[in-house]
Amino acid sequence: MASIKEQFEIPAKMKTWSLALIALGALSLIAGFITKGSGSEEEKAVFIGTIMYNTVFWTMICNAAMFFICATTLAMGGFQQSFRRVPEAISTLVPIFGSITLVVLLYVVFSGNHHIYHWLDTKAVENDEILKGKAGFLNVKFFTVWTILTIGLWSLLGWRMRKLNSEADEAAMDNEQGASFIWRNTVSAALFIVWFALTVGSTVPWLWIMSIDAHWYSTMFSWYNFASTFVSGMALIALWVIYLKNKGYLEYTNQEHLHDIGKFIFAFSIFWTYLWFSQYMLIWYSNQPEETIYFKHRVQGPYKGIFFLNLIINFVCPLLILMKRSAKRNYTLMTFMAVLIIFGHWIDFYQEFIGSISKEHVTLGWLDFGILSFFVGLMIFFVSKALASKPLVPKYHPFLKESIIHHT
Amino acid sequence: MHLKYESQLREPLVYGSKTYHDVTEDIVRPIEAKPSKLWYIGFYIAIALLLFGVYSLYRDVTYGIGQWNLNKTIGWGWDITNFVWWVGIGHAGTLISAILLLFRQGWRTGVNRAAEAMTIFAVMCAGQFPIWHMGRVWMAFFVLPYANTRGPVWVNFNSPLLWDVFAISTYFTVSLLFWYSGLLPDMATIRDRAFTKLRKRLYGIASFGWNGSTKHWQRHESLALVLAGLSTPLVLSVHTIVSFDFATSVIPGWHTTIFPPYFVAGAVFSGFAMVQSLMVIVRKVFGMEDYITMGHIEAMNKVIVLTGSIVGVAYLTELFMGWYSQNKYEGYTFWYSRANLFSPYGWSYWGMMACNVLSPQIFWFRKMRRNLFVTFFMSVIVNIGMWFERFVIIVTSLYRDYLPSSWAVYYSPTIWEIGFYLGTFGLFFTCFFLFAKYFPVIAIAEIKYVLKTSGESFKDDMDKQELMKAEEFAHEYAH
Repeated sequence: MASIKEQFEIPAKMKTWSLALIALGALSLIAGFITKGSGSEEEKAVFIGTIMYNTVFWTMICNAAMFFICATTLAMGGFQQSFRRVPEAISTLVPIFGSITLVVLLYVVFSGNHHIYHWLDTKAVENDEILKGKAGFLNVKFFTVWTILTIGLWSLLGWRMRKLNSEADEAAMDNEQGASFIWRNTVSAALFIVWFALTVGSTVPWLWIMSIDAHWYSTMFSWYNFASTFVSGMALIALWVIYLKNKGYLEYTNQEHLHDIGKFIFAFSIFWTYLWFSQYMLIWYSNQPEETIYFKHRVQGPYKGIFFLNLIINFVCPLLILMKRSAKRNYTLMTFMAVLIIFGHWIDFYQEFIGSISKEHVTLGWLDFGILSFFVGLMIFFVSKALASKPLVPKYHPFLKESIIHHT
Repeated sequence: MHLKYESQLREPLVYGSKTYHDVTEDIVRPIEAKPSKLWYIGFYIAIALLLFGVYSLYRDVTYGIGQWNLNKTIGWGWDITNFVWWVGIGHAGTLISAILLLFRQGWRTGVNRAAEAMTIFAVMCAGQFPIWHMGRVWMAFFVLPYANTRGPVWVNFNSPLLWDVFAISTYFTVSLLFWYSGLLPDMATIRDRAFTKLRKRLYGIASFGWNGSTKHWQRHESLALVLAGLSTPLVLSVHTIVSFDFATSVIPGWHTTIFPPYFVAGAVFSGFAMVQSLMVIVRKVFGMEDYITMGHIEAMNKVIVLTGSIVGVAYLTELFMGWYSQNKYEGYTFWYSRANLFSPYGWSYWGMMACNVLSPQIFWFRKMRRNLFVTFFMSVIVNIGMWFERFVIIVTSLYRDYLPSSWAVYYSPTIWEIGFYLGTFGLFFTCFFLFAKYFPVIAIAEIKYVLKTSGESFKDDMDKQELMKAEEFAHEYAH
């Protein structure tokens, strides 16, 4: 029993690698700034847009890890307890990535970058009946206040959940204490979920992403983005769980748990496709120009390749590969699929942002991957730090034993 | 040996100190006894309603659709409203039996059987509406796409109405198989206890020769998983395709991309409400309080507040986009015809909002979730609200079309339209009463499956495991 490794120690190699990735990212940021940041208006917009979609994507998938904790808490789940510190650690990035998002988004709106957000162009808005009508929602003041509130409350409510859960490290609970502990967790999780529904489930994707196409609208848009980030969040959890298992940590987590994470990834990949199809098919079927304009250049123009790649990676691959039971229990295959899915939804975010900022040219290249490496580096650095700061297993959690004998 | 353990913090799913035999006794008793007076009264009321429905349809078929008040812009009225309403109600059964099976939710065992039966009856009721709405119902077979001698007269494969035919008939078939295959071991239990020859014979036929061998159980379990896997996409597809009936059009208020998932959430919402209405009564009449516990009721109320809120987010999203799109037709539909209380049908929109979004919020409170009266009352309110929702979508979008000269007069149903609707209630409850009399309303075998993990007396025996340290526990029991 002494062999149980409860405390994660960050390997020096991991630290070096994460710092190297961050440095690489910083270098490409500088190189991007020099080559594109001072170019034409469109080049500048693409440069900033590239930072935007990366930071929004990473903030949202890390927040999805907290969503996973809160949703399973409300559902009185037991199976996730043995590895719940992993999504907790991932969610500690919300304030960090959230701050970057905040700075970038506020920079865009305060600098009045109307190549990204067309609605910032006061002259154009004056001469445009539609944009004028939307000004009650698409304006700098509301954007700023809502963005600060969103990121602030995500961070705060997430922090509250993590703090509450630390009580499970302290001492054994009898039934009464356990019930009170579960109850407080439930209330806290409910608060998070409500705020999540009001932000990720509705307003935030409209404000941050959909408004790049200031005229276009789709009621599905936010739920679609939720599905995209949730499945990526699950994939990120899977990656860390597998890493820790390989290093000999997470004694109580085994193939059964991985299998369930795999089911989540499989199911929500299909769910994502369902929402994708519902949005696309309805717009295609009714064929109204003010709606189809969003897809025109994506399906028939320069983004055609990206458009189909998105579907192949995020739908066809998980459908065919993760359908089998043995695949979801295989560490190697799950690692591969998790990386693939995070990459796939990152591409989805790429086309959502850049597909609207630069309609003529697909710009995917060294800058995108450079900035990606910056965020991946930060993610590894901070998640490993968060993992090391707490025991890996909430030893006295009342549902931990259910997780230990969990059979999928 | 795999340890049957769950945390004592979870409420037991079966109360009392029960053996397998007690479970059989408790659930089969109502089937073996003579029905009560209450049962007969209910059954005859249901039959009366059914007959009224039959007569209403007789008028429809003999005199034509003119017996209803549909008019030049409102081509869909009560009929399609009721169709969508009943289909929606059907969803809870599959969600409970299939999706909750995949999610390993033990509490489903208390309510799944009745919910699945309800699904089948609700889908039967739903199917009536499009069929009789055809008017010349003797042409109904035209919806079947087969090589025919009618020349170029084929079904329109581009039409979501046809997709509905496929979706709903497939759904009905799979739900029926799922429900019935689950019944087999229970039917065999009743057969083995039968005290008359006729009973033995009939339940013997109904149980397909089940003998409880390991092989039978093994096949039974894998069949359940396969059918659950099939039902899960099916249940999503059904209401998705119903939503396509509206959303593929270019009618303001109908064409909106959020419709598919929002319809599914709404369907689950109304279905759970109907399950609550039925279960609150069934547990009382049959004395099943040990099996359909307050914990079950609370869990279902949680699903109701969750799906009600999802639907609420969708309503607000639509309303917001009605403004944000700056499309004047969308704006007119949402802000004049619907959200404006003083427009002709404004009452239905606000009725919907009050019943579906505002009132279920009461279930954020634990006390309310565990109050039987509130539960029953709310379950009825939610079903009224979900009826309003379909009425709002259909009628408020249709009564004003693009051409003001063809705007319809105020639409309200005739007695025969209402009679048809009441008739489906008759059909539904006739079936449900017969089901409750001749079938085990709770899945006996499945209750036995969770008994040793979640039964009250078995949980009480887990004190030792509960006090163990995690390390010891893992050392002792982990695989």
